[in-house]
Amino acid sequence: MSAIANVADERLLIEAAQQDPSRFAELYEQNFHRVYAFVARRVHDRAEAEDLTAEVFHQALSNLKRFEWRGVPFAAWLLRIAANTLADRWQRASRSQEVETDDSQAIEPGVEDEVERRTMLFQLVDLLPGDQRLVILRRFVDQKSIREIAQEMGRSEGAVKQLQFRALQSLRTRAGSKQ
Amino acid sequence: MNNLSKIEELDQAIEVMIAGSNPHFAAQDAEVTELLSVASELRQLPRPDFKTRLKTELDWVVSERPLSPVRSPLAEEIEDVLPSLFGKGYGTYPIQRMNFAASAALHAVALSLVLALGVLAFKDKPRANVAVTTHFVPLSEYIPPAGTDAPHGGGGGGDADKVNASHGTPPRASTEQLTPPVVVVRNSDPKLAVEPTIIAPNMQVPQSNQMGDPLSTLMNPSSGTGVRGGIGAGDGGGVGADHGPGLGPGNGGNSGEGFYHPGSGITGPRLIYAPDPEYSPEARAAKYQGMVILHAIVAPDGRAHAIQVASSLGMGLDEKAIEAVNTWRFEPGQKDGHPVPVMIEIYVSFHLY
Repeated sequence: MSAIANVADERLLIEAAQQDPSRFAELYEQNFHRVYAFVARRVHDRAEAEDLTAEVFHQALSNLKRFEWRGVPFAAWLLRIAANTLADRWQRASRSQEVETDDSQAIEPGVEDEVERRTMLFQLVDLLPGDQRLVILRRFVDQKSIREIAQEMGRSEGAVKQLQFRALQSLRTRAGSKQ
Repeated sequence: MNNLSKIEELDQAIEVMIAGSNPHFAAQDAEVTELLSVASELRQLPRPDFKTRLKTELDWVVSERPLSPVRSPLAEEIEDVLPSLFGKGYGTYPIQRMNFAASAALHAVALSLVLALGVLAFKDKPRANVAVTTHFVPLSEYIPPAGTDAPHGGGGGGDADKVNASHGTPPRASTEQLTPPVVVVRNSDPKLAVEPTIIAPNMQVPQSNQMGDPLSTLMNPSSGTGVRGGIGAGDGGGVGADHGPGLGPGNGGNSGEGFYHPGSGITGPRLIYAPDPEYSPEARAAKYQGMVILHAIVAPDGRAHAIQVASSLGMGLDEKAIEAVNTWRFEPGQKDGHPVPVMIEIYVSFHLY
């Protein structure tokens, strides 16, 4: 019943956004981490991942009125846009790696599970206590050293390492329980 | 393995992973291996400000789109809209249809007058399309990180001269600075003369025949050894040996009140009211478009202070952007639940249709 309710809710949300584009913000919030996780998995460069993610959402917003509900989650449509955007980018850059662009197989099997797992992990970071979340962002996003983080937070290096350990434990536990 | 060893081993493994120096590094402890697996996924975590910035961009795009026309249900029920005019009456009181008709007509005339005046007032006035994005970025390597003590304001400046700044009276104090002060005037015939000011409250200062640093004892005119305009050995367009458009020791302009950066427990300000800026007549005539970048400190009162132009557009649009931002209202940044001054970067885009 919960899955049916979620699908029905998503359909209503999409129809509302097609009537009033300002409602697109809710679809954006629900799917941002998913699209970013999919794109980041392919490009491994943060600036390029951000650029491509922005392009995907701009395209989605421009073409929202053409979206037709066929019982497939909205995320699948977004990921197809992402796959096509990646393919276009690589073709322009004349890379050798190829991406399947046929509509029926835009996303290769197994990738969706990985993307969902990573999406959930990214969302769980937002739920960490403030100091743990800050350590995770500084360490893995800004790539700062423990010493630099300790100086910024006004705490000892040992305390920061402990926060890092607890944050990763918390993420592992919550990700495991949600799965 | 005890917890302390695990913490150290995990941190060491993360260091190796981030450095990419040993892709085959294997932890001894099983739990550490699991946590390292989680850590490796977090390397692709998106930056929080990117998500916020993209949302702002999308909101701006949406705001330029008209809403889908919605058919009003009232169009199908016109006969029930004015029952007192078209209805059969209520109880013992008769319907005075002429009165209602006259009242409706008078209201229609009044409304038409208001609309006509509004159209005439805004005729031929191109709307300045404004994109507002707040970015929290380190603005200069000279600005120190947030400390635990209360911040102090002040300023600095200079002309890259060989000698220190000479003695004199600082320029007029103001809430904004369009041009920094100088002692040695290098352009005696400017095309657009603007009064130099510093960003500080009105203060009692020693008076002198020339502009300068009141704390200096040198008399030969010199703007000082600092850089980026102003007077002194510092930088930032103010007067003094530190950084900013203010006066005296400290950073950030004004006196006794500096600023923080978001992060480290400091939340950034949130924009809640932002009327669009006006277009300057010369820019409109020249069909000039572009973006002005401003730096400002959002104070606990929710207003922008110490507004400086970081990237100028010219043609009077810098002044129009500052004028608009002066009217904006923010929810101030906070530290430990208390509002504090926070420096931000503001992008103001001017476009003509």
